[in-house]
Amino acid sequence: MMVRRRNLSALAAALLLIVVSAALLFLPVYHFEANVYTKRSGNTFVGDERYQAARAEIDAMVADYTARGIETEVTEEITERVNSKGDTTSLIVFKVNKTVRCSGWDFLKTGFPSSVLLKIMLGLEALGLLLALAGCVGSLDVLWRDLKGFARFLRTSGAALALAAMFLSVIFVLYTNVIINRQISLYAAGVAPSPGERVLAAADALIYQGAGGEDTATLLKSTSSSVIWTWWLQLPVLLGLTLCLTLVRAGRIDKALQRGLLYAFVVVVCVVTLYPFVIMFTSAFRTDAEATDINFQYMFPVNWMWGNLNHILSRGVLRYLLNSLILSTGATTLALLCGIPAAYAMARMRFKGRKLFMGFVIMSQMFSPVVLLVGISRLMMNLNMNDTLPGLIFINAAFNQAFAIWLLRGTFVSISPEMEQAACIDGCNSVSALIRVLLPMAAPGIVTTLIFVFINSWNEYTISTVLINSDVNRPITVGLTQFAAFSMIQWNYLFMSSLLATIPVVILFMLIEKHLVSGLTSGGVKG
Amino acid sequence: MNQILIRHKWEPYLWLLPSILLMGIFVVYPICIVFKLSFSEISRSGVVGEFNGLDNYITAVTAPEFGSVMLNTLIWVVSVVGISTLLGFIVALVLNAEFVGRKIARSIIVFPWATTLVVQASVWKYIINYEYGALNNTLLNLGVLSQSVNWRSTYVVDFIWECGIGIFVTVPFVTFCVLAGLQSIDVSYYEAATVDGADFWMKLRNITIPLVRPSLTVSTVLNIIYVFNSFPIIYTITRGAPAHKTDTLVTYLYMLAFSEQRKGPATALSVVGFVILCLCAGLYMIVTMRKEGDE
Repeated sequence: MMVRRRNLSALAAALLLIVVSAALLFLPVYHFEANVYTKRSGNTFVGDERYQAARAEIDAMVADYTARGIETEVTEEITERVNSKGDTTSLIVFKVNKTVRCSGWDFLKTGFPSSVLLKIMLGLEALGLLLALAGCVGSLDVLWRDLKGFARFLRTSGAALALAAMFLSVIFVLYTNVIINRQISLYAAGVAPSPGERVLAAADALIYQGAGGEDTATLLKSTSSSVIWTWWLQLPVLLGLTLCLTLVRAGRIDKALQRGLLYAFVVVVCVVTLYPFVIMFTSAFRTDAEATDINFQYMFPVNWMWGNLNHILSRGVLRYLLNSLILSTGATTLALLCGIPAAYAMARMRFKGRKLFMGFVIMSQMFSPVVLLVGISRLMMNLNMNDTLPGLIFINAAFNQAFAIWLLRGTFVSISPEMEQAACIDGCNSVSALIRVLLPMAAPGIVTTLIFVFINSWNEYTISTVLINSDVNRPITVGLTQFAAFSMIQWNYLFMSSLLATIPVVILFMLIEKHLVSGLTSGGVKG
Repeated sequence: MNQILIRHKWEPYLWLLPSILLMGIFVVYPICIVFKLSFSEISRSGVVGEFNGLDNYITAVTAPEFGSVMLNTLIWVVSVVGISTLLGFIVALVLNAEFVGRKIARSIIVFPWATTLVVQASVWKYIINYEYGALNNTLLNLGVLSQSVNWRSTYVVDFIWECGIGIFVTVPFVTFCVLAGLQSIDVSYYEAATVDGADFWMKLRNITIPLVRPSLTVSTVLNIIYVFNSFPIIYTITRGAPAHKTDTLVTYLYMLAFSEQRKGPATALSVVGFVILCLCAGLYMIVTMRKEGDE
């Protein structure tokens, strides 16, 4: 029944997380200030006739707003100055202001666009808090002795989720404020973002509790909003909490600090790496206007334009993808058909000129088709393969040949030749020894080589731009540049087709990443 | 005994034949064409004329932009390879540590490597756009900036961006090469060092770096070649503009050959590039062959 110290500190950290998350959501962190009416009165003094008249006008305004259910407050700004005759006069500015403070919760109740996303965030946050709470109870080990394992699970997952919720709530506050600011000001300026009326109604509900009515647009023009807790104030809190949690888990301060820094570094690297991909992904679903006008860009598209996909497909992207598929499959097949026998000979046979060929293979890994472009295009013209897919297939296969031989040879060498030797004694010739014995054993290495050549050919751009002129023969890397004409770039379509070109390759790459590297460095070189 | 029986003397050559044919026709022959063309007169329409000695080379080398192009190429290769090797090494060290989500982090790092360079370059072109670029937008949203910044004010800045993007796409390759090297290091070395009281830096200098050096060499040499030949980044972002000031040798010779239709000087530059590549390749070959000889 002992509550261990570590459990206690975990409990404290979780509770702290809960409090901060809840505070972020329920404290009135959004601040709206609307200047609904201004009256300037020159050459007056407090209490004189003109002052009275202006004051009466303001009071009438206030009464008017109060009648409509909008609570306001009046401020007076008095500026005294000496005029040319030497008399002291003053300028009095009366302002009718409305100040509103809203919590994140209030925001969620309104119908601002993208609030679905925010609701999901909220759901996660709530789940995290619940789990953390349950975990706290569980970690007390009082009632559920038998459920100890389950309680530990609850505590750790709860703490993790609650931590995630903390980060989410910062993004939440930040993002909502951006949405409110941008959408309101755009609407008020007359440039309505796509769901205009909805924004208006939502803003009305959030700031004027629905009392703005028809005048909302006018009222909103003078509204400025801000978040009281700016994000850089929240960051130290978050960092402190993260540190505190890691500390608790690791049990030692210096170790915990080191771990915290490690995670921070990994997070930074991942964020930087993913940034262009996130941009590509979100921009692919934007409308033309959203993609090329910074005023319309939120973190995510207002409406996810699946129509962009249809559009690019209608402009031949399917054909380009097919071409790329044919090209890469062809080049891979050819490269392997020529490469496997060569690698086999290099790995298993001794003959004159072996070193020479080896040197050539290593050298030609370095030859890039780019410096030889002029020669290649002329060769293709001579062979009548200019502007054809077979031409590209041959070039890609040839320039990947050296690498394929290199990788395959490494694989073959690493497999003991005894089996083949036995097969040869049994009467197999070397061809069937290769096909029946060696290839099945070398399958992982062959797959790696295959995928690598495939990816290289799929991603190849430079030779294709030079060799391919007609639209029907373009591979995707060249085809997608049709959306990037020098004068006008259709970013959303460009990125949508880029997505289609990228996703399969990234998946393939993840599959072979481990094998490829060992092939590249150690495995491939082992002789 | 690592061989199998050869029945005929010519058998190995038969095995090599398809490969030799393929590379002979599509790799070696273009090299010959380029060499031959570089000593011939070529008209704008591409008709090959007579032997004209070193004229093409002289035209190419005396062009006003030649100096800056070569300098750019040097800066491009040195900065991209150097910085990405350093960064890749650091990232690999971090990714080699045990932590939650390591697999995910590794998969994420692969992304820039797997994506075709045209796509990468286009995305970055969009990100650094002044009027509607995503970088401005993100920074405005985060409240870091209060108004848009022109990220591409001069061509020097443009070139720096191009180098940056080059580094961005090169780091993963280095990372994975180094990771492969790191994984092959026996943990017992570190354990022994810890017992002897070595700190992190001592372990790094005396165990990690010497044992990772072979991987680093391979990745550096390969990177020099890849980066030297890298075409899409510069072509997509600036096309060498203004007046070839952001061109490297490869993009410059492409522009000469296919936009300006000056194939003569272009082939001469091809030969220059090819010779530079051969020097690097020779270096690589020596390194690899020596390693092979060790075993």
